[in-house]
Amino acid sequence: MTLRPALKPKPRPAAGTVRTPGPRKRGTRPGTGERSRPAPRRGRRGNERKPRFAIAVTAAFFGLLYLPIGVVALFSFNSQKSLTVFKDFSLRWYGAFLRDDSLLESLDMSLRVSLVAMAGSLVLGVTLALGLVRCRSRLGSLAGLIMLIPLITPEIVTGVAAMLLFKGMGITLSTTTVMLAEITFSISYVTVVLRSRIAALNPETEEAAMDLGATRWQALRLVTLPALLPSILASGVLIFALVFDDFVLAYFTTGVDPQPLSVRIYSAIRFGVQPTINAVGTLMLVGSILLIVLALFIPRLFGRRGGLDLLSGK
Amino acid sequence: MAPHTPGLRTRTSGKPGPSARSNRLWAWLMVPGTLWMATFLVASLLLVATLALGTTDALGNPQFGLNFENFAALADPAYRSVLVRSLGYALLTCLICLVVAYPVAYVIALHGGRFKNVLIAAIVVPFFANYLVRMYGWSVVLSDDGPLLKALRGIGIADGGTRILQTGAGVIAGLVYGFIVFMIIPLYAALERMDISLIEAGRDLYGGPLRTFFHVTLPATRQGAAAGCVLVFLPAMGDFVSAQLMGGPDQIMIGNLIQDKFFQGQNWPLGSALTMLMMAVLFIGMLGYLRRARKDETDQAEAAR
Repeated sequence: MTLRPALKPKPRPAAGTVRTPGPRKRGTRPGTGERSRPAPRRGRRGNERKPRFAIAVTAAFFGLLYLPIGVVALFSFNSQKSLTVFKDFSLRWYGAFLRDDSLLESLDMSLRVSLVAMAGSLVLGVTLALGLVRCRSRLGSLAGLIMLIPLITPEIVTGVAAMLLFKGMGITLSTTTVMLAEITFSISYVTVVLRSRIAALNPETEEAAMDLGATRWQALRLVTLPALLPSILASGVLIFALVFDDFVLAYFTTGVDPQPLSVRIYSAIRFGVQPTINAVGTLMLVGSILLIVLALFIPRLFGRRGGLDLLSGK
Repeated sequence: MAPHTPGLRTRTSGKPGPSARSNRLWAWLMVPGTLWMATFLVASLLLVATLALGTTDALGNPQFGLNFENFAALADPAYRSVLVRSLGYALLTCLICLVVAYPVAYVIALHGGRFKNVLIAAIVVPFFANYLVRMYGWSVVLSDDGPLLKALRGIGIADGGTRILQTGAGVIAGLVYGFIVFMIIPLYAALERMDISLIEAGRDLYGGPLRTFFHVTLPATRQGAAAGCVLVFLPAMGDFVSAQLMGGPDQIMIGNLIQDKFFQGQNWPLGSALTMLMMAVLFIGMLGYLRRARKDETDQAEAAR
């Protein structure tokens, strides 16, 4: 890890908070809401010691964060079965995966579940988010609270609950039940992400469209939805990745055959190591990482802000 | 209907707001999603709560009822020790996550420069990779002849008998690895938002780095830390993969018990009761957090005045 060059202290712009004008200790520029820093700061910060201990912890953290992923990827190319001794480079386990029909069937099922969950949760989530932001009613705030349940509940609880519901209604667990459960979980996600985006939109653009003769529906379709498109696409890609990788919900709601890929991996690693899993795992890692990077870059592709805001930590 | 017909729930007419007719459109848009969530989420959770009061018949089929024998069964010392262990592991996980995540978030937020976003992305991206694959890789790293113990033996910290897997430490290591990102993100956000002149003021007042840190930086970011603790505690409490892959039979957590009651034991009412018990514990924790957060907010509002 070459972290060091990244960690040069740099004068940062003032945080978003507007400071209230008050008695200031150092009487530089008495203007209010002054944002630029006075010059002496650079010198002061230059003298400041780097937090060496914290930097060491950070470096170790990054090492340990990537080590497990690296190990799985490395040993997926091992010619031997061992997980500790790397012999020769070989694609043996990838070949074994491609010849394993039941694993391929699981892959196929996971892909279908992710696609359906993505489509379903986007349709239901986007409409719901629009309604939640724009409609002022008590029912709306109740619905808004329900949306938060999956986010503050351990997944095992929603998994158990979904399983009981399906069994209680006499539905045999199958691919369909996994899809239904995953849609439910994903709606919350889409709604939470899009709510803030919709709230940030200027409703007057829509009203302007209507003043120009558009119907309410046309204004929604031609003005609001295009403005939301980057966020919608980004959350769609992310939902796809999350559902594809999801294990707990899938584990509780899947039937016997076929099972989602992550459930197959679970049973495989529970009963001893199978090197094929390294290959499958590596492919899944690469796939998810590509998807999340894509999701992060979608707003930039549209040349404007308005994606997931994952990185600003909000 | 004319666009500005009075009635329904229009807002005060002075402001441009949703008209009565549009409000109805928005309300209709909410219907499918709300119905869906009511069916698949709310109803299913209510079902768990109801079944917790049920029993099983002679064949092991769940029967609804109104008795508390499941909850009485939870008083069994065996269950109690699992609950206590789960709580302990989850709390320790929070603590370790906090101790590790704080310096990481601090370095990135305050010294990350233009690489800030890249570094945060480098933390978030692997988190989205498959949880099982990551856990499995981690268990390989921690295994008896894995790279970590080899390195520790090499520098003389560990000896041949030191183990991480199959111990409680292994389970906690798994939980930390699984959920630490939930700690880093809120801490990073809090440190990012923090007014850096506070730190400078601490220095100006002759506070050393440590004193400044404990008296200025840490209190200013404690809301982020609290949020991170909640976000780590919730999934750590419900996890059953870590205890299965990294721990032995002595390290099972409440998640493993629930899983067992639904799959091997086939005692759904008891499993539901265990689920409700876990939710109750988490709910108490959440209430404490919310009360604390609200107090913080009012304190801040008062301080601003």
